[in-house]
Amino acid sequence: MELKEGKYTVERIASDYNLSRQSALNLLSKLRKEGYVQTMGGGKQKRIYTVYKLPKMMQNGFYYIVNKYSKEKLVPQFEHYTYGNYTIEHAIIDGIKIGGTRTKEATKYLFNHVTNWKRLLNLAKKYNLKSKVLDLYADARNTIKCKTMPKRYLK
Amino acid sequence: MQNNAKKISKMINTKDQEELLRLIADYIDSDVTCAAIGGTAMMFLGYKSTTKDIDLVFGTDGDRNVFIKAIEKLGYSKKSLKFIYNEHQIKDKNKPLLYSRGEERFDLFVKGVFGFEIDLSKIVQRHDFIGKKEITLLVLTKELLILLKSVTNREKDYEDIETIVKIEQNIDWNLIIGLAIQQRKNNSWILIDLEEKMKKLKTVTFIKQECFDKIYNAQRHSSKYTESKLTQNDVDEISEKIDSSVAKKLGLK
Repeated sequence: MELKEGKYTVERIASDYNLSRQSALNLLSKLRKEGYVQTMGGGKQKRIYTVYKLPKMMQNGFYYIVNKYSKEKLVPQFEHYTYGNYTIEHAIIDGIKIGGTRTKEATKYLFNHVTNWKRLLNLAKKYNLKSKVLDLYADARNTIKCKTMPKRYLK
Repeated sequence: MQNNAKKISKMINTKDQEELLRLIADYIDSDVTCAAIGGTAMMFLGYKSTTKDIDLVFGTDGDRNVFIKAIEKLGYSKKSLKFIYNEHQIKDKNKPLLYSRGEERFDLFVKGVFGFEIDLSKIVQRHDFIGKKEITLLVLTKELLILLKSVTNREKDYEDIETIVKIEQNIDWNLIIGLAIQQRKNNSWILIDLEEKMKKLKTVTFIKQECFDKIYNAQRHSSKYTESKLTQNDVDEISEKIDSSVAKKLGLK
């Protein structure tokens, strides 16, 4: 059965498509596994199901990391998917590469979650962004509560 | 092998494609950026689940050479363009390099596709394959995919365009035509190919007459511009096309 694109609750799907509540849940579960449905809420909140025309993969790139850790949330300019070891350090570099005031402000919060400073500085050197990374770090230290970078990397 | 056994052509599915690119990321010598077009891009966007070949456009020759080195290590070898692209496309300076291993095939372009230059800044998805080095794969907009499919003009390309058009109701035809007009100096057949596909698509979707008028106006304008610059080869090609269409109308083979 094909559902129209949009946001639904279980009850609305059941009434719109003339199904029992349990059949509607089974249908949503099947579509979610195929990538056509994403869920929001649950528990105290009413669960809302978003239905798509095309299967959507769960994003795991820069925007996923920023929106997970940063207080300033970003609307993705593009869908970003990664395969392999994509870390917070990669996300900081991507934030600087994407640029824009809002993106940089959001990226500052990622310094709190850096676990491997050496990797961050190596990536910065690789893309010729060392000075920009250090500038953003200095800005982060001035404006938010932020982890200390070991002094040997500040040279 | 049994006498009645048929040779099944193997298609590449989404998972195979992702794993293959992840593997290649371990074999490349430096980071590479490329754009996915054709069936590959359609798979990433969810329009279909399998493809015959992986079509990639690289920003520079250097990037393509790095990628070729890696796939050669994995046993892929260079193949001829014959039987896949037509003669007109084989002569093009922007023709691809074909590499295959068994039934899997890579079509590797640089900068553009048969004269159509690709702008890598207009993307909807980015896929990073991180191995020892990194492959950054950009996925272009659906409008650009439709236009590129009408340029490459292989057997299955029209079916793919139809698939996109059937799923997406909000296709910006004016944008597609605008892009085609911009690129008509690099690819003289682009407007003719696009108009042909759009006419066929009329059975599937509604396309405003003003879109066709835009193409006809642009064709008239460019024909005035190029009238004096036609080479003998162009004249031969046009007359061949006219001959075949007349023959079809008369019912001759």
